[in-house]
Amino acid sequence: MTETHTPEETHEDKEVLMELAGLGRSFGGVKAVDDVSMKLRAGIVTTLVGPNGAGKTTLFNLITGQLARDTGHITWLGRRIDKIRPHEAARLGMVRSFQDLRLFEKMTVEENIMTTFERSPLPRITTPAKRAERREFIDRILERCALTDKRNTRASDLAYAERKFLSLARIIAAQGRLWLLDEPASGLDPQSYNRLLGIIREEVQTGVTVCIIEHNLDIVIGISDRIAFLDRGKLLADDTPQVVLNDPKLASIYFGER
Amino acid sequence: MENYLANLGVLICVYSILAITLNFIMGYAGIFSLAHAVFFGFGAYTGGFIALNYTSSMFVTLPAAMVVSAVLSLLLAIPTLRVRGEYFVAASLGLQILAVTLFTEWKGFTGGIGGLVGIPPVSLFGTEIFRPTSFVIVTIVALIVTIGIFHLLVHSNFGRSLRAIRDSESAAAAFGKNVPVIKTVSLAISAALAGMVGALYASYLAFINVESFMLDTSVLIMAMVIIGGTGTQLGPIVGAIVLLSLPSAITYLNFLPQSEIGAIQQIIYGAGMTLLMLFRPGGIVGSGGK
Repeated sequence: MTETHTPEETHEDKEVLMELAGLGRSFGGVKAVDDVSMKLRAGIVTTLVGPNGAGKTTLFNLITGQLARDTGHITWLGRRIDKIRPHEAARLGMVRSFQDLRLFEKMTVEENIMTTFERSPLPRITTPAKRAERREFIDRILERCALTDKRNTRASDLAYAERKFLSLARIIAAQGRLWLLDEPASGLDPQSYNRLLGIIREEVQTGVTVCIIEHNLDIVIGISDRIAFLDRGKLLADDTPQVVLNDPKLASIYFGER
Repeated sequence: MENYLANLGVLICVYSILAITLNFIMGYAGIFSLAHAVFFGFGAYTGGFIALNYTSSMFVTLPAAMVVSAVLSLLLAIPTLRVRGEYFVAASLGLQILAVTLFTEWKGFTGGIGGLVGIPPVSLFGTEIFRPTSFVIVTIVALIVTIGIFHLLVHSNFGRSLRAIRDSESAAAAFGKNVPVIKTVSLAISAALAGMVGALYASYLAFINVESFMLDTSVLIMAMVIIGGTGTQLGPIVGAIVLLSLPSAITYLNFLPQSEIGAIQQIIYGAGMTLLMLFRPGGIVGSGGK
């Protein structure tokens, strides 16, 4: 890829939120993530694409400290973070969703949301004003995720799309700077995924940086500022959608004509 | 008869508190401990030891028992709570076995196999409380305080964090919850209150030995939680009432051969528990299915 872009197209004018340098991790000799270096810039939506087993979720796990990395390092807002545990990553502002959602199943929708923005586990006395403010905050999230009627429903009793949106609601509530979304749109009907895209766009407007793992090409095209292409743990491309989608080599890998 | 009922009332309160404290970690934090009788026991020995040697004031014996049990729980929690649930069950079982040996052998503190004898009754502002009918009031107050503490804990952000960890540890961590610390703190709170009731128990009976703090006590407390309803607030109390009243209820059934009563009781327990788990896995108070 030798084409030249203007700085706007490559988003080089935007602040680098996170930089991955030579990230790697093997499982019993298989390199799940192999020397991945990339920059995530503030307010940019990057989609991670690639065949199954390309290492996309593993990359998320390395970023958030769910898995220890074998090689490389991560820089967050210019500061190198070496060993990080998941809860510390969350406190820095990295929030993630899971492919299998991992909702707090026996808790209500409201409790699922509340627990993600409560920073301290210490019991605290809240003033009525604070409580009203909190309620308003939750109301707004419920409304955006079309979960207003389900406030007091247990997560395990929700329908499929509602579960996906509860997963998203938790992410919104956590008020992070970087969203790592693992297949948020899979299995959604068109109306739901328009809602999802709307929420992501609104959040990006407010400065949130988003990295999405997604298979659905419509969504990839509809939302991405950049596309990062992973295959067998290696980052083959990290560029604008036009460049990546028009690369015949990548297309043949993606559609399995290796 | 009055004393008999008061005695049963004291036992129900004591075991309700134990079941509530165990339910807190089992039902809300997902920590399955087979060592609850250890914390109960250390509290009892600490309270008894202090009452025998220094003072029987409630304001000394109970806090001391709480501190000792809480510190002890840290010894179990710190190495084991970072690993998965099954390992904790095994480690707690190990602690339970170890503790029984310690209770039997550490004669200077526990009185060895003979136990601590002649523990003075607990005193409150200089008044000694020894009659079952007055002691039952003390234990009811302790029970109410315990219910209050855990009600507040479960419904605070601390309780939400705990339940989140129970439902999905990795997701809770991904949203900023320091899982090992929260689990350790909850175990320490649970152990402290089990220790407190241990000190009350010691002063009530005036005599304690290792028999009260063995594995079967830990299992009995766990049975109370499961039968009553894990993760419910009323369940542990219902479980304690059912399991403690059953033996006395059976002795009133005159048609049963008195010599076989022990065996019959075991059969009723076993069958009852199996049927309950088949038809109401959530316990008596719990929400039925899983």
